[in-house]
Amino acid sequence: MIKILAACGAGINSSHQIKTAIENEMKKRKYDVSVDTIVVKDITQEIMNKYDIFTPISKMKFSFKIDIPVVEAGPILYRIPAMADPVYDELENIIRDLNK
Amino acid sequence: MLNLIIDFANTIFQPLIDLGAAPMMFILLSLLAILMKVKVSKALEGGLKLAIALTGIGAVINILTGNFAPALQDFVKSTGIELTITDVGWAPLATITWGSAYTLFFLLILVIVNLVLLIMNKTDTLDIDIFNFWHLSIVGLLVIYYSDSLLIATLLVILLGVMKFINADIMKPTFNDLLDMPEHNPTTTTHMNFLLNPLIMLFDKIIDKLFPSLDKYDFDAAWLNEKIGFWGSKFAIGIYLGVFVGILGRQPVSGIFTLGFIGGVSLELFSTVGTWFIASMEPISQGITDFMSKKLKGRTFNIGIDWPFVAARPEMWAAANVLAPIMLIIALFLPGSKILPLGGIIAIGLTPALLVVCRGKILRMILIGIIMLPVFLWSGTAIAPFVTETAQSVGALPEGIAEGTLITHSTLEGPVEKFIAILVGKAGKSFSLDSILKALGSLVVYIGLFVWYIKEMKERNKKYEMSKQKQTI
Repeated sequence: MIKILAACGAGINSSHQIKTAIENEMKKRKYDVSVDTIVVKDITQEIMNKYDIFTPISKMKFSFKIDIPVVEAGPILYRIPAMADPVYDELENIIRDLNK
Repeated sequence: MLNLIIDFANTIFQPLIDLGAAPMMFILLSLLAILMKVKVSKALEGGLKLAIALTGIGAVINILTGNFAPALQDFVKSTGIELTITDVGWAPLATITWGSAYTLFFLLILVIVNLVLLIMNKTDTLDIDIFNFWHLSIVGLLVIYYSDSLLIATLLVILLGVMKFINADIMKPTFNDLLDMPEHNPTTTTHMNFLLNPLIMLFDKIIDKLFPSLDKYDFDAAWLNEKIGFWGSKFAIGIYLGVFVGILGRQPVSGIFTLGFIGGVSLELFSTVGTWFIASMEPISQGITDFMSKKLKGRTFNIGIDWPFVAARPEMWAAANVLAPIMLIIALFLPGSKILPLGGIIAIGLTPALLVVCRGKILRMILIGIIMLPVFLWSGTAIAPFVTETAQSVGALPEGIAEGTLITHSTLEGPVEKFIAILVGKAGKSFSLDSILKALGSLVVYIGLFVWYIKEMKERNKKYEMSKQKQTI
């Protein structure tokens, strides 16, 4: 099971859309993932270390270094499949690498 | 003829309305989604989730006000500070607004306005943030509350809607700059909170004139946020405020703990129920997006989504964290404000606009934020009777609630627009010369400030364009 952390500004709307979309699409692609959501401001290094992949809504700045792969998931929110696909493809590549 | 139509509508809608808000909205939202060619099971899922969210929000408001309202009365007695309005934050207000059938009407109107503007090339923004249409709807509902006129409400909603689309276009280069977005990234937002940009920019220009060297003292926002850690999270804030009310309201020790934990649990539950409710809009949002992108084949456009993508900038949170305790102090002493900040104390209805106008200059953001907070508190106070009554009418507030208990949201996006809605609503009711002049006068000033802001933003965008050309040479 790959654990993914999705983050946005309220931890309510955008990150939940990202969560639902990633879980549905990865299930279709036969990967076992679970996505948690969080408010950007509540993220600490400790929390981040519990996950395999970080999928923020846009480029983010933290006071610490992020050690896990980061995939910007903003395009998922446009609700247009052609724009979301590159995000899913990038995720799929990373998940395959992780499973090695 | 008109009477016939109204009678006909009433015979269809009255039984629906009589069912209560949750069942009515379940039926209406599901039907609308099916009309937008969403799969029936998906449409029903959305409708049911909305009904669950409405019911859930009601339950949480009940827990919160049931415990806080009596304590707040004791607080007033022992301190003499008249803070009787409970601040429930954004989720209940959003839910209450989506509990009104008018919101679906305003939604349809705004989708049409968006399509027309796109086709006429008056905007480049396709707004797919369906959920946040409630911000305009609540302005419309406020006009209706005062005037009983759907027409006047619709006109104001359209005016503000058009301004939001123009604003989304004009902010796009700033988003690219602040968030390092490549040119082809279509992200922008039409969110209501950015309609405060003109007023913020006015003060930003004043700071330019009075303290041009202020920005030298800016500090690292990411560092501050890390130091604050979980102490600034929702449940922690709920606990502080509950304890604060409990101590000043001279409650017994057990009561102080109870208030603290009830505060914490309510703020967490509001967010949790808020997620159901956003999930309920998922199917219809997809349906509307599919419909609109089909109508716009071949046209390139930016896409308006919810604001949280700007939250990647740590300055936004640093400002919200610093402003929270300041807001509490202001609320205690501000004449004319009766809100005790709770659910809205982290002012995310304000700090994204500060970020966009000041472009991350943190001291400016805080300083202008302090000046803006009273506007929010007064606006929140002004709409409290309307919010409370509307909450009751959609069944989100228990019937037997104590006399005089009021609810509101302390940092609801669009505080200025609420005052305009009240003035316009009052003018629409009385049609007296005095009230009409007041409404028109406020609209002239409001639109004038917006026009000035757009001019300033065009200057800013020109500079972005120039620096980009320099880079490519």
